[in-house]
Amino acid sequence: MTKAQPICASAVDTHVDIQIGSLPLRLSLRDSALLESVRGRYRGFTGSQNNCFSITVDGEDSETNGAHSFVCDFEGACVTADSGSAHFSGVRHEYALDSLLRMLLSWALLPQEGFLIHAATVVRNGKAFVFVGRSGAGKSTVASLSPQGSVLTDEISLLKRVDGEWQAFGTPFWGEFRAEGSNTSAPLSGIFRLAQSTENRIETLRPAQLLKSLLPCVLFFSSEPRDHHRLLQILAAASEEISGYNLQFQKNRSFWEVLPT
Amino acid sequence: MSVATSGVWQKNPALAWREIDEETVIISPGDSVMHELNDTGSFVWRNIDGRRTAEDLAALLVEQYEVTRETALADTLSLFEELSLRKLLISAEPPQGGASR
Repeated sequence: MTKAQPICASAVDTHVDIQIGSLPLRLSLRDSALLESVRGRYRGFTGSQNNCFSITVDGEDSETNGAHSFVCDFEGACVTADSGSAHFSGVRHEYALDSLLRMLLSWALLPQEGFLIHAATVVRNGKAFVFVGRSGAGKSTVASLSPQGSVLTDEISLLKRVDGEWQAFGTPFWGEFRAEGSNTSAPLSGIFRLAQSTENRIETLRPAQLLKSLLPCVLFFSSEPRDHHRLLQILAAASEEISGYNLQFQKNRSFWEVLPT
Repeated sequence: MSVATSGVWQKNPALAWREIDEETVIISPGDSVMHELNDTGSFVWRNIDGRRTAEDLAALLVEQYEVTRETALADTLSLFEELSLRKLLISAEPPQGGASR
């Protein structure tokens, strides 16, 4: 009698199973050197699961056509995707793969009411504090002022509605392509729009203000109107259901004193 | 570009838009640009249905807000001009000078 194998398991070790934002992904690669790099990069997110989103990766360039649900390219590499599967072509190093993975997730998270956003997320007392802002706003500063192990990411956060509750998930997407993070999550305390200042001050944002703050910071690469419509509905729901704030902060740990507990 | 008072316009079907807090946020997928409308702009936007003219919409504004018909019409035409310039509105009328038979 043979033991039943999980759907994602394989005797031939040419793939890496990872999970980001509770979305199981199987990356299948032919390039053994790249495979090892990928294993190291996503070590905090590995694990076998069923019903993986299947991603095949190769270094060859390929022609794309408009028949796919999602198509996007980045510096010669390209991702094409349909429901449940994707193909990365022209991938010659782990950074290209990482970029395509971000692009793919920005689209693949839509059915799960999730999105990626330029934000640092720090967990404090079991709650996730999401600090949003474009480059230079202070995401890395906030992360560096937080205790080691409390930071889910300092660059790209993943927010998702799970059973009616918004949660922040750890991502492998960190500043300067650093390979860090782990597959953990925490319910949201709030979203804080960062502005560096000489004082610590917080003010509440109305849902419309929060939505307008989120939109420029969201990672999104689809040009399909239906995808944009879906994203906007998700972001509007997030803006109505999550507490949003403007946070003016000094570059030291004292800013935590003005944040909600 | 000028907008006729009797012209009929419709929302660009390629857009994603959402009302929130009596404001409207519109995204044009082609360039991912965000556009915003205030409460009166949102009222007009909500009532653009591909059948109403600027005059019809101005009449609705007069009913809803304390504003004269002249001001309502001028504001509506100004909004139409801005929205059509940004390709958020497109003409709902068939193009003129089509087939001659």
